Amino acid sequence: MSENKNMSKPTHRKTPTIWLEFLGSMNLAITLLVMLSIASVIGTVLQQNQVIQDYIIKFGPFWHEVYSGLNLYDVYGAAWFMLVLLFLLVTTGVCVTRNTPVFIKDMKQFSEKLSLNALKHQPNHSSFTLDNSIDNVKQHAIESLKQDSFRHRVHQKEDGSVTVAGLKGHWNRLGYFFSHVSIIIICIGALMDSNLYLKYHEWTGSLVPETRNVTLNDVDPKAWLSADNYSYRGNVNITEGNSADVLFLPYGDGYLVQQLPFRIEVTDFRLDYYDNGMPKSYESDILLYADDLDEPLVKTIEVNHPLYYKNYAIYQSSYADGGSKINFNVHALASPHISSSVVESAVNKNESLTTPVGQFRIEFTDFKLYNIVPRDEEEAELTGRKMQNNGPSVLFKVRNEQGTAWEYENFMIPTKQEDRWFYMSGVRTSVADPFRYLFIPADTNRSRDRFFRFLALVNNPQELETILANMAPKPEDMTESTYQTQLRLFSQLITLYRQTGFDGIARFVETNVPQDQQEQVLGFYYDQLASALQMLYLHILDEEGVIKDDAGNITEAHQIWFEDALTSIASLHRYGPPLYFELTNFEQIQSTGLQITKSPGKDVVYFGSALLIIGVFFMFYVRQRRVWIHLKAVGDKTEVTIAAKDNKKLPETEDEFEKFVTQFKA
Amino acid sequence: MENISKNSNWQRFSLRDWLWTLIVITGTVVAWLIYKDNMDIYEEVILFSIALPTIWLGWYWKSFQTHAYSVAVISLLSIWFYQLNGNIYQANEEVFLLKYLISSQAAIMWMSFLVLLGTVTYFFGLFKQSDFVYKVSTFITWTAATLGFAGLMVRWYESYLISSDYGHIPVSTLYEVFILFIFMTILMYLYYEQKFKTRAMGGFVMLVMSASVLFVLWYVFDRQSHEIQPLIPALQSWWMKIHVPANFVGYGGFSIASMVGVAMLIRLSLEKRRPQSRLLTSLPSLRIMDDIMYRSIAIGFAFFTVATVLGAMWAAEAWGGYWSWDPKETWALIVWLNYAAWLHIRMTKGWHGAPMAWWAVVGLFITTFAFLGVNIFLSGLHSYGEL
Ligand code: HEM
Repeated sequence: MSENKNMSKPTHRKTPTIWLEFLGSMNLAITLLVMLSIASVIGTVLQQNQVIQDYIIKFGPFWHEVYSGLNLYDVYGAAWFMLVLLFLLVTTGVCVTRNTPVFIKDMKQFSEKLSLNALKHQPNHSSFTLDNSIDNVKQHAIESLKQDSFRHRVHQKEDGSVTVAGLKGHWNRLGYFFSHVSIIIICIGALMDSNLYLKYHEWTGSLVPETRNVTLNDVDPKAWLSADNYSYRGNVNITEGNSADVLFLPYGDGYLVQQLPFRIEVTDFRLDYYDNGMPKSYESDILLYADDLDEPLVKTIEVNHPLYYKNYAIYQSSYADGGSKINFNVHALASPHISSSVVESAVNKNESLTTPVGQFRIEFTDFKLYNIVPRDEEEAELTGRKMQNNGPSVLFKVRNEQGTAWEYENFMIPTKQEDRWFYMSGVRTSVADPFRYLFIPADTNRSRDRFFRFLALVNNPQELETILANMAPKPEDMTESTYQTQLRLFSQLITLYRQTGFDGIARFVETNVPQDQQEQVLGFYYDQLASALQMLYLHILDEEGVIKDDAGNITEAHQIWFEDALTSIASLHRYGPPLYFELTNFEQIQSTGLQITKSPGKDVVYFGSALLIIGVFFMFYVRQRRVWIHLKAVGDKTEVTIAAKDNKKLPETEDEFEKFVTQFKA
Repeated sequence: MENISKNSNWQRFSLRDWLWTLIVITGTVVAWLIYKDNMDIYEEVILFSIALPTIWLGWYWKSFQTHAYSVAVISLLSIWFYQLNGNIYQANEEVFLLKYLISSQAAIMWMSFLVLLGTVTYFFGLFKQSDFVYKVSTFITWTAATLGFAGLMVRWYESYLISSDYGHIPVSTLYEVFILFIFMTILMYLYYEQKFKTRAMGGFVMLVMSASVLFVLWYVFDRQSHEIQPLIPALQSWWMKIHVPANFVGYGGFSIASMVGVAMLIRLSLEKRRPQSRLLTSLPSLRIMDDIMYRSIAIGFAFFTVATVLGAMWAAEAWGGYWSWDPKETWALIVWLNYAAWLHIRMTKGWHGAPMAWWAVVGLFITTFAFLGVNIFLSGLHSYGEL
């Protein structure tokens, strides 16, 4: 670029000039662009704004010190990052101010006074003689230039020769100006929306983020921002039927509370699903009250369709449970009698529960109305639907007096598995683990009643002994003591099974029986256990009135229920405290997460972006081209010299020049 | 002020161009009449404002007309076959023509095959210096682009067949954007091929396309990624219709530049080590390669600028902020800054040859990371099409 070469050849070098030259230099600009890129890479590869402990574990104390010293955990908020941006602003600014006058001159200039010699030094030139008079050729030159959309200027020299100078595509230079000024404009817009203002107030001590999780009234007054704060972006959760006039802005390792100049009420929140279980839409019906509005604004907002009010925008951003009311029957799993108590609570509430097996604290954490999960392939084939809805579920934690906690996920309605219905309850002791599920088989009425009856019986040694004695009377040829031993074995096996499951019996045999007899004894125990439990089960069925005449002949479905129940009871010792929470009733209350922004820099950024796009296209796709046609009369003929220059050398430049010359001659 | 002589411009207009104009306008209006109930005002504006650049593109680049007609015929034929067979999605398993040729999945599989084939034939042409092989390669490549484009159009229709609330323009999953990327880049390449009258770059550019095809095939067979899924709420926006395609013109330009860079490096090294090599006569001159490289980066940069700005505007509407330093956004910025630096160096320092070629090659890695790597390794708001 000739312009740039001129730029770097000043005659006197004063200190300020050197500085300006440094600031406006392309080397600095490119260095800054590269620095910005590298900083951005760091910002994406290193997870930002995590908990400090995580970083220390990940990188070790030494590197943690280095990284946090360089502010790498919050690159985009780091002072040095701001400095790079600022430098880029300055460089671009200096560059634009220095180049623009040169470019404007270049845009306007036709350079029609160039000497013939200078023309012959242009990248493209050609000389020939035409048989016409100079005036005719001049006219022809003007026409030709017009035809190719050149603007022209005619210069009459003293020696009688004429130069017709053509110029087109001067917008190219404007493109440079637009695109570079736009960078400055965009940065200014971004700065308007940055948190520099907050940083400043934090620095002077008038602003202190709140780090505690307290109610609004207890928030430190220094963490409040008044309604005339001029740019912010924050979130608030509003429960259906409630309203809010504040926002929470995450800041540092805490948050700030922003007072809003209006109040938002949420009347309803809706969540809609596709048939494959993916969420389809989140919608909130909101009312906006403001002092200067007679009637509140009514609007339904959803993702991609915010509400714009003055210079605020209100977005649908998330949702959560807003404290759904939930009722339970709590079943005592270890009790020898069917026993349950009622608990009425709500999500986000805690209850304490006193039971014969200890004191517990229950923390209800979430309620879900739908649980849409993929079906297995066979089921999908059969029903033509890939997904199934497992219905409402609750998530809660049970904590004992020692502080150990179990987390549960209980479903309200039974789910179908291989043609049988089960009530599912997931349990885990660490959030990192997946849930392990207890499958309680549903009985003929699709209820859990039979299961609890059977379980109570298993828990009750006295009663079960009586029942077993009844159902298995002493055979004639057995001695009384053998018979009693047999009954006791039944009872002991059942207790062992209830407390430790089938593996417990196996472990018992392993520790108490000589090795060579283990297999035999274990088989015997399992047989005995099975027949004892089967008798108890028959007793239950008899009570239910299922078996009227033929005790030995129960249906396959009842047989399968029995096997499922045995599996289920065998795993109860791993289920945590002996309590089962049956969700009996609920009233769903949702809360919607709104994001509200006030972003005065946005329009500035958009304006800058528009300029940038226009500028870039002008720079790339408008070529600035010059043509000179020099004419000199020789007798009644005319000597013609045509020269051309393009500000970008392209392969077609030459072809175009030749075409122009050929057409000119014709 | 500028007295454009109409005659000279209009003379370049043949009957064919008039027909093109008429057909594009008619097509647009018919599409509008059929679908106007499903469109909001923005979508109507997009539909009509796409017609103008399309007409212009057809005038400017005549071959595009033929391509567009073929895409339209194949797509309409496919739609017609769906309608003949009960207008249900399952027809793609039952009707021979749909199953094996022009349902979207079939067309895309053919495209994949042709891309791989085209890559081989282009290289074969390069080594044999055979004009005939070259012409065949060009034809194969045109067909691949046509099938890819038509495949996406049909997929658009199919998404509505599955369920009316599933229907959406197929630019929302990684699978769909890969197809978009492949056929757009091929088209851009074919334009340069015509303009610079050299087919020697074909094999190189098609290498990137082949790599993409292999990725897509793996993605289809291993992950069933071609299944049509409905749109999550954040993507239900007309912004997607313009943001995504604009991005892919950018990616396309950068990939072409990098592969031209590779060809250039090969040429430079041959010139040094084996000046007699026959390959030197087949490869275009450094000047032409330099020019193609510059042009494709320029167009890539221009469209990438547009796409990033559109993305920011969409983000402002969907996420509440025009810039959130989300990994995808940040990487778009990195790509953009990288090419801005490239352009500056070239402009003002006048660098040419090997360093710029190397830089363009490195640029492809940066671009690929922004395109794919971010989805694989980093999580953020742009969490569609995760691997
Ligand atoms: C983020 C910052 C910047 C961006 C995105 C940017 C972008 C561009 C682009 C795309 C071009 C066109 C190159 C071409 O036509 O091939 C260009 C040209 C140019 N830029 Fe920048 N630029 C930036 C900052 C700067 C800075 C800081 C300077 C000053 C040192 C500068 C000086 C120039 C000059 C002198 C030209 C040549 C204009 C001409 O002769 O047509 N740019 N810039």
